[in-house]
Amino acid sequence: MKATGTLPQDPRPWRQRRDAALADTTMRTTIGMVTRRLHLARQTVYQGFPTGESDRVQSVQDKRDAIKNMEALLAEFRRSVEDHGGRTYLARSAADAVEIVRTIAETAGVRRVVKTKSMATEEIELNPGLIASGIQVIETDLGEYIIQRAGEKPSHILAPAAHKNRQAVQTLFQSDARNAGMEPPESDDPTVLTRYARERMRQEFLEADMGITGGNFLVADTGSVVLITNEGNADLVTSCPPILVSVVGVEKLLKDWQALQHLIQQPAMNGVGQRLSSYTTIVSGTRPADGVEGPQDWHVVLLDNGRTRLLDTRYEDVLSCIRCGACLNACPVFRQIGGHAYGSVYSGPIGIVETPLLTDLTILPELPSVACTMCHACADACPMDINLPGHIVALRQEKVARHLTAQGVDLTYRWWARQWATPQGYRRSIRLARFGQRFYRKQGLLQSGPGLARGWFKTRTMPPIAEETFGEWWNKTRNGEGHKYAGQ
Amino acid sequence: MEAVSLFVTCLVDMFRPEAGRAALRVIERRGGQVNFPVDQTCCGQFSYNAGYQHEAALLARHWIEAFEATRDPIVALSGSCAAMVVHIYPELLKEDIEAQGGDERDAARWQARALAVGQRVRELSQWLLHADGSPSSAQSPPNGDAPSLIYHLGCHMRRVLRATTEAPSILAQSGVPVHEPADDDQCCGFGGTYSMTEPMVSTALADAKWQCIQEKAKEVSAVGLTSADLGCLLHLEGRAVRQGTPFPCLHLAEVLDRRDQGRPIGENLPLRGLS
Repeated sequence: MKATGTLPQDPRPWRQRRDAALADTTMRTTIGMVTRRLHLARQTVYQGFPTGESDRVQSVQDKRDAIKNMEALLAEFRRSVEDHGGRTYLARSAADAVEIVRTIAETAGVRRVVKTKSMATEEIELNPGLIASGIQVIETDLGEYIIQRAGEKPSHILAPAAHKNRQAVQTLFQSDARNAGMEPPESDDPTVLTRYARERMRQEFLEADMGITGGNFLVADTGSVVLITNEGNADLVTSCPPILVSVVGVEKLLKDWQALQHLIQQPAMNGVGQRLSSYTTIVSGTRPADGVEGPQDWHVVLLDNGRTRLLDTRYEDVLSCIRCGACLNACPVFRQIGGHAYGSVYSGPIGIVETPLLTDLTILPELPSVACTMCHACADACPMDINLPGHIVALRQEKVARHLTAQGVDLTYRWWARQWATPQGYRRSIRLARFGQRFYRKQGLLQSGPGLARGWFKTRTMPPIAEETFGEWWNKTRNGEGHKYAGQ
Repeated sequence: MEAVSLFVTCLVDMFRPEAGRAALRVIERRGGQVNFPVDQTCCGQFSYNAGYQHEAALLARHWIEAFEATRDPIVALSGSCAAMVVHIYPELLKEDIEAQGGDERDAARWQARALAVGQRVRELSQWLLHADGSPSSAQSPPNGDAPSLIYHLGCHMRRVLRATTEAPSILAQSGVPVHEPADDDQCCGFGGTYSMTEPMVSTALADAKWQCIQEKAKEVSAVGLTSADLGCLLHLEGRAVRQGTPFPCLHLAEVLDRRDQGRPIGENLPLRGLS
């Protein structure tokens, strides 16, 4: 149960990803606007909801309890689903999960798949896996549909096309309309664009022979997969095609409907500032012979991919993440660089913690170091009280311990701390710096510097070390003379 | 007379000692009897945030030893460094000793020492707000239609120390109108050595912060920027100077000291970097 997971990664190195992001002014403007709006909406919804905070605290408790009890809940969930006509699978790795879904599709002779938005399927790269087998996959979440047309990956956990403005969307839809033989959207008005997508997707829903969903929650006692959307596309994906496959991380398990009651509000409240998402889709079994609801065949793929190895570690609370995106919206670094610069499907504060944790730092190990100023905004925003800043520091420590940091940098910190751990060393280093800084001084200011400090001077100046530090001044004027008034 | 120990921080000590002397005068005018533990160096936050736990612990142990000589309140000239001592030290020291294979009782003992010293720490505005008596030798005439300042609340003071209202209250009591810019909850990009290891992102954040500061300054005719954290100020000031758009940046203590002396806030504001 404790295997390391695998995640897709952008092959470009960090510098390249970062510089591309910082140079993309359209993306930065759009991401800045979207994150700011969602961040404010979250604050506003709490103000108008007296029990919002106590409900949130209760939901954290329910989620933590479920994680502590994961093994038992997993067994109960699988039993319940199978009792109601579904089949369950436990996928230890991403590759296992893709293989399971592909086998289901190939066995049933599936040609066309419609999908809801799902980070789990992004994580295992399900779409390329199916497409390689000649299966057509259509994303039906509006944001996902947009980025699928653009051949891109989601830039935000909750709002996958948050980096695109409406002009860009219109252009994408125009060429999409040509391919589909449809009337293209006549303007970049969001209503017009949405109407186009609605009509376009309707054909796909009716023609698909398999639906694939993720899952926001798994209710163990009734064996239910619960999906929340603001577009209703999950209703169609789970009811139009005859076969339904749900791919869901094992950490989504909950005990019962009592636990779901407050938790189901959290993604909407904290992600977009709504009391509840517009649509709640619940699948609790296959369609009975005399019934009208549910798919004919239902398969639930439960994904581990590095999750259970976090159980009973200091990082266990990471499994409480409900993918609301509140930490992304609050994060100043995310607002500047957007999601793609992270190079992982999981971006923002949760991404820089979860990517290295699921993969045991085997991919993108730079993330905890390069994408966080340690401002703690994510900690305040996270509705699940995940200790994101604490984990980021701990992962930085982990990197030092595993020698994933540059040796020169390690030596600098070691020398620095050992010097400054005594007053004599501190004073000595000040004298040394005073001597050295004459080489970096221009017009009274430091304009460049050696070693670690070099980075600072790329874009900023610094005053030189004072002729007389406070400590030196104190020793000269005050020490041993009692505490008379300092005057000017 | 309340005796206090002054924790100037390494940045004030080295780069803005005048802010340390200003704080000294401000505290003394309010009846504080200031002791400066001369062995103090740095709280270790730079190392801690960068993932060098053991290095941070070395500095933390030294800091505690330097401040344990008295039982007086410790007045810190940085919200961020105060937060480090109060909220990070206890766990840091315990974990470091455990990680180094040290004795469990030793770990518990250091944790207890950290908690005890942490209870004495107040950031300057926190101490001032609860200090008895008004400034005895201060003049602080009403600022009236005097120009205002932009106030930048550092992230650790806001979210770790949770001291969000004290500095604006103290400044208001001194007759200095302060305004917070739009997106005031967004980091300025300093982040300790993050500013050095990731300068491009750090600078993008500084530029976003300056844009909000300048817009607000224009709106309210503010003449300068103040903060209780010199790290943020040096980073923002250094960026503005490099851009050729300097703007006065004063530590909270420097502002209060000016007001104590009855000097209007806009008078001869230092534009560092234009010498």
